Formats: sequence, C-alpha cells, structure tokens
Amino acid sequence: MGVAVADKNGPDETGKTGPGEQGRPDIRDDDLERRRQKLEATLATRRPDRREGGEGARSSSTAGYGQALKLSSEFIAGIAVGAGLGWAIDRMAGTSPWGLIVFLLLGFGAGILNVLRSAGVVADQGLKASDKAADKPEKEK
Amino acid sequence: MANDPIHQFQIAKWIPIEIGGLDFSFTNSSAFMVATVGAAGAFLFLTTSSRGLIPSRLQSVSEMSYEFVASMLRDAAGSQGMKFFPFVFSLFMFVLVANLLGLFPYFFTVTSHIIVTFALALLVIGTVVVYGFMKHGLAFLKLFVPQGVPAVLAPLVVLIEVISFLSRPISLSVRLFANMLAGHITLKVFAGFVTSLSALGFVGVAGSILPLLMTVAITGLEVLVAFLQAYVFAVLTSMYINDAIHPGH
Amino acid sequence: MEAEAAKAIGAGIACLGMGGAGIGLGTIFGNYLAGALRNPSAADGQFGRLIFGFAVTEALGIFSLLVALLLLFT
Repeated sequence: MGVAVADKNGPDETGKTGPGEQGRPDIRDDDLERRRQKLEATLATRRPDRREGGEGARSSSTAGYGQALKLSSEFIAGIAVGAGLGWAIDRMAGTSPWGLIVFLLLGFGAGILNVLRSAGVVADQGLKASDKAADKPEKEK
Repeated sequence: MANDPIHQFQIAKWIPIEIGGLDFSFTNSSAFMVATVGAAGAFLFLTTSSRGLIPSRLQSVSEMSYEFVASMLRDAAGSQGMKFFPFVFSLFMFVLVANLLGLFPYFFTVTSHIIVTFALALLVIGTVVVYGFMKHGLAFLKLFVPQGVPAVLAPLVVLIEVISFLSRPISLSVRLFANMLAGHITLKVFAGFVTSLSALGFVGVAGSILPLLMTVAITGLEVLVAFLQAYVFAVLTSMYINDAIHPGH
Repeated sequence: MEAEAAKAIGAGIACLGMGGAGIGLGTIFGNYLAGALRNPSAADGQFGRLIFGFAVTEALGIFSLLVALLLLFT
C-alpha cells in the first residue's frame, strides 16, 4: 500500500520516491518510536496529575488528615526508637543515664528528619547532598 | 461485660495447639487472617475470571486496585521496582481487606493488634535490607551517609540516619495499629452510649439519637481510615523499596 | 516504695513541661497559619523556618520528657 501511495504521489519525481521508499520504513519506525515516547511522556505527566488532581479535588481535607497522622507518628517513632536504643545501651553497657540522654536527643533529631522527609522538604535518604548539608546543622541546634 | 470497649480485641483460642511448649493455637485472629486472605483472593479471582474486554462493575474494581497500586509503585520506585509489585499488592490488599472486614459488627480486627502490624512492617524492612545488601553489597550502607556532609558532623549524621531508619518499622506499624484501635474503641464507646442511654426510658431514647448519629458518622470515617491506612502503608512500602533499589542517589 | 512513689510523682510533674511546649507549638503553628492566610504565596518559602521553630520549641519539651524518663528508668 505504501508503494502505491508513493507511485501516486511522485510519478514525475522518480529520484525522490526511490530514497523515499527506502527511508519510509525507517521513518515509520522513527515515527512510531517518537509517538510512543510522546505517549509515554504524556502518560507520565498525566498520571500523577490525574491522581493528585482527583484526590485534591475530592478530598483535600482527608489528605491533610492523613498527612497529619503520618507526620505525628513519624516524629513520635523517632523519639521512641531513640529512647529505646538509649535505654537498651544503658542496660547493657551500664552507662546509666548518659545513653538515654544522648540517644533521646539523637532520636529527636531523627524524628525531625523523618518529619522533614515525609513533608518533602528534605529529599529522600541519600538524595540531594547540598540540601541536606544545609539542613542538618540547623536541626542540631 | 457488654460495654467494655476493649473486649472486642481479646484473643480467643478456638483450636488449642501446642507444639514443643510453643503456643500455635488457632485463634480468632488467625481465623480472620485466613478469612482476609480468602476474601481478597476470592474477590480478585472471581471478578477477573470472566476477563471481559468491557469490564463489569466488580471487575473494574479489581482492575482499579491493580492500576492504583501499580502506578503508585511505579511513581515511587520506578520501573525497576515493579518486580516487587506482587509483594506490595498483597500487602495492600491484606491490610485493606483486614481493615474493612474489621468494620463488620462482631468481627475481629486483625490489624488492631500491634504484633500483626509490626510483623508486616518487619517483613517490609527485612525485604528492603536483604534486597539492598544482595543487590549493592556493602554499598547499601551509603544509605546512611548523605554526600557532602562535613567530616566533623558525619558521625552524628550517620547516627541520626540510623535511628531514622530504625524508626521506620515502628512508625509504619504503630500508625496502622493506633488508627484501627482508636477508631474501634471510639465506635464502641459511642455505641455503648446508645444502649446505656436508652435504658433510661423515653427521655433516654430521645437523647440516644445523638450518639447514634455519631456512630453512623464515625463508621463512615472508619471506612475512610481503612482505605487511607492501607494506602499509606503501601505508599511507604514502595518508598522504602525505592531506597533498597537506589540507595546512592 | 516511698522513693518509687516520689519518683513517679516527680515524673508526672516533670511532664507538665510538655504542656509549655504544647502552648509554644500552638503559637508557632497558629502564627504561621495566620501569616500564610494573609500572604499564601510566601507561605511555602517559610516552611523551613516553621520546622526550625518547631524543632527548637519541641526540644525544650523533649528535655522535660527526658527528665521524666530519667526519673522513671534510672
């Protein structure tokens, strides 16, 4: 069918149809590839869009509720783990009360880090060195 | 006692089994876990078995749940994370169906026991750690050392990162457990108001309409919370899996 | 037994300090919200400072929690 079209289109431009026929499958492949990529790109942009938009429109308050629950439990978990670790270290090494003191404060830092991370202010673990280096000392104060 | 809000969480041994001094009894909790798995599996299997090109209503529900989890995992962990899709999807369906089953009156809520949620969270973190070490070896430990931290601060930062990592299973499990527990206790307390008020005669019955309305409203909220908590659990799981796949960047 | 009771009472009193931190956090978040509602476009830029204030205020609350834990567990 492609040949027929080429013949119809270029009866007098024989020089052009030759390379055109050769190039056509390539072009078509390219075209397909390009279109697929474009589709993927649009899908990729639309996917989070659609979901966030839908959720935001439908229930921004429930999202906020979930977010609040998430943040508070992240914070408390950091402190709890810090205190637990400190207590266990005290118990084993007999360094009462210092392990508890130091690790509770470290756990506090970890809790803040958890909150920042799940709020999306600090990038994920290991990401964005500059951000983190800037944020870290601030947190220790 | 009928009005005890904690009574619904008690574990009853249905078939006592003891092997080597360890208690392997088949309890009501295990029964409802089996029911959860059975309900989720049967639902997914039966609704998709017709394989209609134009999905029926129930088939589109299971396709939606598949799509939902798949896009969530792809967003969080990239296409490499899709090999964990069966894991995340099973977790999501288990938590969701367990939460929803628990909303039926007289049913046991599996996820309202911290040992269950903590076991699930440990499964997630264990998968992350094992897969991370298998794939990256010791380079997985770079997860705890953010780049560009001054050498003076590094030990402190590493300690904080380690604690932050350890706090993940805790927060994952406590969040689910606390939400289910608190929701069910609230529900029970308000429902208890209805019965104890209506014992007071006509005025009590009239007054008990308010807690009854509250109970209805809280039930609606609990359905929402059941979805929300399953969603949060799955989202965090896929985020942690992302850490296992790409620790360094 | 007497010392145990005194410890528990002391831990309870120490936890009162957390109330102060709670008031402080309420002030911080309330003022942040008030400011954010006046000028929503500037709100996101100040989120870091909000968390900084939260951290510093909550740290003082954590100190009182620490004292309570020390009383209870050492």
